[in-house]
Amino acid sequence: MSAIAEKPALDVSGLPTVADGPRAPLWWGVTGIMAIEGTMFAILVATYFYLRGAAVEWPPTGVRHPGLGITTLNLAILLASIVPMYLVARAAGRQDLKGIRLWLLVSTVLMVAFLAVRGFILTGLTFRWDSHAYGSVVWIAAALHTTHVLTGTGENLLFLALLLKGPVEDKHMVDLRLNSMYWYFVVLAWVVFYCIFFLDPGLLQVR
Amino acid sequence: MSVAEVEDVGYAGENADAEERRRLERTWWSPKGLRGWLTDVDHKAIGKRYVGTALVFFALGGIEALLMRLQLARPEARLIGPDRYDQLFTVHGSTMMFLFAVPIMLGMGTYLVPLMIGTRNLAFPRLNAFSYWVYVAGGLLLYAGLFTNTGPDAGWFAYVPLSGPAFSPGKRVDIWAQMITFTEISSLAVAVNLITTIFKHRAPGMSLNRVPLFVWSQLVTSFMVVFAMPAVMLCSLMLALDRLVDTHFFNPSEGGDALLWQHLFWFFGHPEVYIIFIPALGMVSSIIAASTRREVFGYLPMVMSLVATGFIGFGLWVHHMFATGLPQLGASFFTAASLMIAIPSGTQIFCWLATLWGSRPRFTTPLLYVLGFFFVFVIGGLTGVMLGSVPLDLQVHDTFFVVAHFHYVLIGGAVFPLLGGLSFWLPKMTGRRLSERLGRLSFWLVFVGFNVTFFPMHQLGLQGMPRRVYTYLPETGWGDLNLLATIGAGILGLGVLVFVVNALQSLRHGEMAGDDPWGADTLEWSTSSPPPSYNFLRLPTVAGRYALWSRRDDQPEVTGLRSDRREMLVTNLLDAEPDHRDVLPGPTIWPFILACGVAMTFIYAIFNPWGFVVGAVPCAVALIAWFWPRGDMDRDVIMEKRS
Ligand code: HEM
Repeated sequence: MSAIAEKPALDVSGLPTVADGPRAPLWWGVTGIMAIEGTMFAILVATYFYLRGAAVEWPPTGVRHPGLGITTLNLAILLASIVPMYLVARAAGRQDLKGIRLWLLVSTVLMVAFLAVRGFILTGLTFRWDSHAYGSVVWIAAALHTTHVLTGTGENLLFLALLLKGPVEDKHMVDLRLNSMYWYFVVLAWVVFYCIFFLDPGLLQVR
Repeated sequence: MSVAEVEDVGYAGENADAEERRRLERTWWSPKGLRGWLTDVDHKAIGKRYVGTALVFFALGGIEALLMRLQLARPEARLIGPDRYDQLFTVHGSTMMFLFAVPIMLGMGTYLVPLMIGTRNLAFPRLNAFSYWVYVAGGLLLYAGLFTNTGPDAGWFAYVPLSGPAFSPGKRVDIWAQMITFTEISSLAVAVNLITTIFKHRAPGMSLNRVPLFVWSQLVTSFMVVFAMPAVMLCSLMLALDRLVDTHFFNPSEGGDALLWQHLFWFFGHPEVYIIFIPALGMVSSIIAASTRREVFGYLPMVMSLVATGFIGFGLWVHHMFATGLPQLGASFFTAASLMIAIPSGTQIFCWLATLWGSRPRFTTPLLYVLGFFFVFVIGGLTGVMLGSVPLDLQVHDTFFVVAHFHYVLIGGAVFPLLGGLSFWLPKMTGRRLSERLGRLSFWLVFVGFNVTFFPMHQLGLQGMPRRVYTYLPETGWGDLNLLATIGAGILGLGVLVFVVNALQSLRHGEMAGDDPWGADTLEWSTSSPPPSYNFLRLPTVAGRYALWSRRDDQPEVTGLRSDRREMLVTNLLDAEPDHRDVLPGPTIWPFILACGVAMTFIYAIFNPWGFVVGAVPCAVALIAWFWPRGDMDRDVIMEKRS
């Protein structure tokens, strides 16, 4: 007999030790990061329109569209990476390590391809960040977003290494699912910037 | 059951408790000494460090304030030249806002929230350790600048074009911009941590409508941090880039816009005032409830007011820019919003007054500070409503009237409740009570000193004395009031000194506090003072808004959490029903290393844009090491380590 029995007890020993989605504290952590970065991106969008509204000439002379074809192609690559990331999340739900490895690899390849094309687009731009305010906004957005893609790629590689080397713990399945969730956010952010930058009527006319 | 048997049972129970304590102590160990500083992840250790470090910055900011006051005490004084003075008011303002007020409020939250909601630690202990070190890096950077005569000098809001590359060459403003980055990263990390902890780790039974008001205030503040601070991080980054790599965000001749800075800065800057102020409201509620031993009148209106203040706080930023020539309609809208903020503040004051009404409160030091807060804050609020109207704002813009106003709001609204809160909770943190005599003495010195310092500034402002000038001519006739203000500042400083002496002395000579020296209502008072590293032997459950007052005799306790690994109970968002058990990491060095990497990155980037690339390497290494499982958490393994 122990003291525990003297007071009525709420026994929680039967509860599981991992949980998914909003039940998991980490879900809130990642959502918090997305809220912070989403706010930052939103403020960047507001900055773009603020400068655009005040500008005499938008885009400034000398700015040419990097090409609707290649920028759209790159967006397509990015969107395509959602599929394997979704499959990673699904496989993680089943604790299917083989599936996770496979789809992580596929999505990482797509991310690297995206980064390569982005590098090509950026080096081909007809303006720099120090050319004018337009250049500053476009470059800062691209740089911030590229940082996110790099981080996402790094995370994927880290997970791959972990899944090959071990030990893999039950909690990692939650981590993987949240990693996918965060990636959707990174993709979504660029969908917005793509529309704003490359579908800007002012810029399309220059072409 | 015979007497002998009963005793036997009691003995066995105590034994089991002692055994459980030993296990918990081993599992939730807190490293000591230097190792503890670098690796500990306990929210209490880190919270205390936040509070202590912020108080050091409060002292530094106070010394700067005294130096400024000495210089202004008489016309044409020669103590401090114009360049020094510019650095002093900028560093004073920046220190008080970014290194003192916000961190100390969030630090109190870091310490108190897990105790108040009945859990063992914050949800992300390593993030917490990381946030502290990033904050320290920001503070060190600012003061390294000041002591090498590279202190920022463009005011605490660093308006462009003054702060731009053309008018502020050198590295002063860059130091300011990176200090902002550090402190904001740190606050954002704490905010996410607090939100998650409050949402997911409340004691069973503590549904959202039973959350203590202090915890509500921390929750609202954290949300404000999440949505306000990204703005200032982004604009300080833009400013740094304008200066470092010639971008043109704020350069009108290349399509940039100087007013953009003001919009972005105040989108953060006004909520910032509420980020400082709202946790203070939570402290006031705690102190009033404990002093009157009554439930605070009107829980629902109190919570609604906190939330409303949080929202309206975002609608106010433009009122700092009335002098910039905004469209008429816009100005009117923001005037209305500025006046509207008076409604939730008024509601809360009335609720507190209703609580105090007819009660026989104990006039201890914490309550004195709360009453001081009422008095000072009402005056600050009045001048605030005055400033909220465009014509008057234009009249006294950039005069000492404004300086007087915001010190009434900031010191009245935040520092008074904070000193009250510290007097209230220090016994919990240290286990010793403060001396009431010294406490009262410090209160009266602070209260009198404060009013003597800042009340005359209203008059000086109306007489036209501009802020941010290092001296003035004898003919202006401002000398007497300025001397008075300086004398007041001395008294105020003395009061703070008495407070510190009182606190230090209590560490050795203070009366033992016991678990609950105030007869207060929240869960932190149900554990020992100071609490053990694991907070509670068994996690509590809660049956009402005032957890300890509504505790039934047969109030259940949580059992079945493993004590051989750092298990935390996760409950659901609305009703705090037990949901699952999570396992937390123990002490680790990597958050510290990551903070060093981040500091290196941004400090290097002051001088060279490649800093961002070079610095990424140590950051990545630290992140990988942080993430890589060390097996010390004893989680269930799906796939063993392969060699
Ligand atoms: C402890 C007593 C304090 C004294 C005697 C004091 C005094 C002063 C003085 C003399 C100035 C400069 C006025 C000028 O020439 O423009 C100033 C500016 C300022 N103070 Fe304080 N202060 C105190 C505490 C605080 C606290 C606690 C806060 C914030 C929580 C604060 C925030 C500021 C800010 C934001 C500025 C504006 C800096 C700028 O113009 O950029 N002060 N204070």
